Amino acid sequence: MAEAYIYDAVRTPRGKGKASGALHTVKAVDLLAGAFAALRDRNALDTSLIEDVTVGCVTQTGEQGSCIARTGVLVAGYDETVPAVTLNRFCGSGLEAVNGAAAKVASGFMDLVVAGGVESMSRVTMGSDGGAIWDPSMEFDYGIVPQGISADLLATLNGYSREDVDRFALRSQQLAGAAMARGAFKRSVVPVRDQNGRLMLAEDELPRPDSTLEGLGALKAAFEMIGVQFGVDALTQKRYPHVEHIHHVHTAGNSSGIVDGAAAVLVGSREIGDRLGLKPRARIRAIASIGDEPVIMLSAPAPASRRALKKAGMTPGDVDLWEINEAFAAVVLYTADQLGVDLDRVNVNGGAIALGHPLGATGAILLGTLLDELEARDKQVGVATLCIGGGMGIATVIERV
Amino acid sequence: MEDKGFTVSFDAATGVATLTMAMPGKVNKINADFGNGFIAAFAEIQAMPGLKGIIIASGHKDFCAGADIDFIYGQRDADALYAMVSELHAGFRALETCGKPVVALLTGSALGGGYEIALACHRRIAVDHPAIQFGLPEVSLGVIPGGGGTQRLPRIVGLQASLEILAQGKMVRAPKAKAAGLVDELCPDAESAHAAAVAWIAANPRAKQPWDDKRFVWPGGVQPDTGDARNLFAAGAAMLVKKTAGAYAAPEAAVKAVYEGALLDFDSAMQVEARYFVGTVVSDQAKDMIRTFWYHRNAVNAQANLPKIADARVQKVGILGAGMMGAGLAFVCAQRGYDVVLKDIRQDALDKGLAHIKGQIPKLAKHLSKDDQAALLARVTGTLDVGDLAGCDLVIEAVFENLDLKHRVIRETEAVLGEDAIFASNTSALPIADLVKASIRPANFIGLHFFSPVEQMPLLEVITPGTTSEETLARALAFGRQIKKTSIVVNDGYGFFTTRFFSAYIMEAAQLVAEGHSPLLVERAARAAGMVVSPLKVFDEVTLSLAAHGFEMRKRYFDDDLDQAPGVRLIRKLVELGRTGKAANAGFYDYTSQPRSLWAGLADVVAELGASTPTETGIEVLQDRLMLAQVLEAARCLDEGILKSKADAEIGAIMGVGFAPNTGGPLAWMDRRGVRAVVTALDALAAAHGPRYAPPASLRAMAEKGERFFEAV
Repeated sequence: MAEAYIYDAVRTPRGKGKASGALHTVKAVDLLAGAFAALRDRNALDTSLIEDVTVGCVTQTGEQGSCIARTGVLVAGYDETVPAVTLNRFCGSGLEAVNGAAAKVASGFMDLVVAGGVESMSRVTMGSDGGAIWDPSMEFDYGIVPQGISADLLATLNGYSREDVDRFALRSQQLAGAAMARGAFKRSVVPVRDQNGRLMLAEDELPRPDSTLEGLGALKAAFEMIGVQFGVDALTQKRYPHVEHIHHVHTAGNSSGIVDGAAAVLVGSREIGDRLGLKPRARIRAIASIGDEPVIMLSAPAPASRRALKKAGMTPGDVDLWEINEAFAAVVLYTADQLGVDLDRVNVNGGAIALGHPLGATGAILLGTLLDELEARDKQVGVATLCIGGGMGIATVIERV
Repeated sequence: MEDKGFTVSFDAATGVATLTMAMPGKVNKINADFGNGFIAAFAEIQAMPGLKGIIIASGHKDFCAGADIDFIYGQRDADALYAMVSELHAGFRALETCGKPVVALLTGSALGGGYEIALACHRRIAVDHPAIQFGLPEVSLGVIPGGGGTQRLPRIVGLQASLEILAQGKMVRAPKAKAAGLVDELCPDAESAHAAAVAWIAANPRAKQPWDDKRFVWPGGVQPDTGDARNLFAAGAAMLVKKTAGAYAAPEAAVKAVYEGALLDFDSAMQVEARYFVGTVVSDQAKDMIRTFWYHRNAVNAQANLPKIADARVQKVGILGAGMMGAGLAFVCAQRGYDVVLKDIRQDALDKGLAHIKGQIPKLAKHLSKDDQAALLARVTGTLDVGDLAGCDLVIEAVFENLDLKHRVIRETEAVLGEDAIFASNTSALPIADLVKASIRPANFIGLHFFSPVEQMPLLEVITPGTTSEETLARALAFGRQIKKTSIVVNDGYGFFTTRFFSAYIMEAAQLVAEGHSPLLVERAARAAGMVVSPLKVFDEVTLSLAAHGFEMRKRYFDDDLDQAPGVRLIRKLVELGRTGKAANAGFYDYTSQPRSLWAGLADVVAELGASTPTETGIEVLQDRLMLAQVLEAARCLDEGILKSKADAEIGAIMGVGFAPNTGGPLAWMDRRGVRAVVTALDALAAAHGPRYAPPASLRAMAEKGERFFEAV
């Protein structure tokens, strides 16, 4: 079997996902095209050699609808022969795009594929694409609840207190701040400029490294109102009758931030790298996705990681660094607990709590962050993994070459 | 055509044709005759030259009572029913797309299918009278509207308002119906309503339904398939599940039909409704609910085999004891026009009771004028003097459950009452025969067992020991009708029916906890089975000390092994620890915790009493135990003759003490499970836990003969 290599990974900085955010006036397709262009320019790519482009995007409606991937290719000025597909595996989309690209290359069907993701959460409201998941039948028949309730349920079931999750959030802010101070993201981040070349955003905009535990502790539980007053907590009783009350511990401060951003990853075979004179940075050792119980919803990164590691013939102990998406603080605590992984190898440069989670792009961003840090520390093996709406998980195992 | 009760008239001067529904009998109801008659009459109207508009009117008191329940109850064939419903839909569709304005002249109530006729008209003009009601109460019988209600109503009042009406089966009285959007116009009487209909037709010669307009915008501010709509449905579904614990199929089907139908054009949406309608109608749950809430309830309310008297000969009612029950009863009686003397032995208790009555006015009598509210209050007199009860035609005692105390108040009260006065005891358990011993007029002595809070609870359990005269019973029943209670009449015996039945529920819950099962799972299992209130919560409300007192009283009447049951030991232990219930802020729950939670120390107490970890547990196991304990008690009460009819068992269980309405009642539950399977399960429980679970002989005989309580449909 052929092997799939990562040749490069780029991303935009993440802008605050609201009208006052630095990237709000940038069209989603321009964010994506910017990442595509940077990947091409940094690697002096002849884009006519790219056989496919796979792009994760969750809220595919409005300006993010109608296969934004192909429009992004055209806007970036790629060769017109480059096809593209937009996919949606909720929060796992960006990593799914990479995994799909890796599968196309590793199977030998293709040699060079660009993977990536985009989400302008300030411009296209999360959830505005509708979907079957919103059908009341899913509430009646499955007890499906909004993610925040799942996160609080996960914390309740595992005894994570408000202080536990706030402490984790504080850690994320502090690590992200330190990483930015020492330029840990410099290799991947490509500043966003307007059509006149004026700089709009050079670095991630969201982090608040001066956060305090007191400040975090003062924030209102974000899901208590819908959980208690609107009765949503009751929906979980069918599956979790032994939970008397859900402790609503998650807040805006210990959940992932809403941001705008895009990313692109160049995936190819060994041969194409040799032909183009590109140096592979890492090999994609294994990929996996998995489904889990949909009410708790956020529990699947651990089984997804285990499945991927098993394919790679590894165990969690073989992994030098982990990127576990900080959708909610409890998800990372739970995943690390389940895998028996010490937190000092997890999200060492902070995560989405501090930096933000541009839904469709995050998976691809995490992989780039992971690779940069493996190189910086001269370590070998990394795993990126994300929890996914509807009760799924996804994981990718990479190894430097 | 006339023989089916549909007449057509035409006023050449205005061009208005009137289709009057006056089906044989007292009410218009939708059945096969209705379909044929209505369609033929409508066809006749359409052929009239010079036709400008149509009025749909009723020749009966009500506009239309809705679907023929006999027809609905008998339906099990989904295909055939779908075809019939589609025809009805086509008929209504023809009405609203006929090109002429059609007005529903609502001179009486229009409910269910009856209101759906009105929804298929272009305008609803109603007489403004509080006795006239509108709405779609189908879910209370386990079905959803099948005549377009789930599609037309949301398109008339908006998604949010329609969900509340449909999922709760809400009915709205005429004076409030315009504000609720259920009717378009209110008129003081039938004549003015007719004139308004004629005027509206003249002013709207080309009426069509809003949903048949290409530019249709949903009323109420929420458009389907938007973020607002998704939030609305998500919250609506969650609130429903919180209330019903997922035990009721019909309200869920109603929400689904609205959600799916709202995404479609009107004709397609009707197909969605038809599918959900058919699904609920043919379901077991609908059969069980219709049997109980229609047939049984009507039979019980008809009081066919009971002595009947038109006039209870009661003007003045005396109430002994001004506690929650006494004060509540005083309010209910005053509300229905009786003069009431409320007596207690302590001024502070009396003051509290009178304050309770006053406090009920803004809650339950706010629709009355200030003068009427004042008159209601003025009808109640408080006293500490038994002499003030002189002249009462009926005295109801609601004093503490102590035989000696009750004997004393019976003696002192009867001494001041007239020969014709009835003395009733509201004891919840003591055999009336034991109380009668103190009475000088046993023929006038009866048990009237009310349920708390009496202002809301619809049931009255009437207990007649052999000494009660037919006349006393007849007067008591007439009084019950007057205060709008549904009465079941049972034979005398400790705990009668409802108290025994209810005790079986909460004691089984205590027993399960004592056996080491999770108290939280016990609570959740009960709600998931459809029980209205979870058992430990309600145990705390009735207080554990009262139950402990009950065990002592009960011992004198029952020679069984309950007294040795771990559940009873647990209750005694909790009482000993001062955990007597909600009033003490400590019972099975800890009422000082936020949010209120089950008491964390319960597991230790249970362990101290020697419970081991149960080998089998979980929601299904616990549901079975809770239900089996209750249905067993119902079977015993039938066996012992405490219950005189099966309908009383179902109505008493559900309306009196909150047995799962979705099941149709304890006997229906046994039918659904199979009597043989019930007996097998009870035998297993008796073997494991003691003879108190043993099924009575009559139930065993039914099992052997393969019999059911109710005919299968």
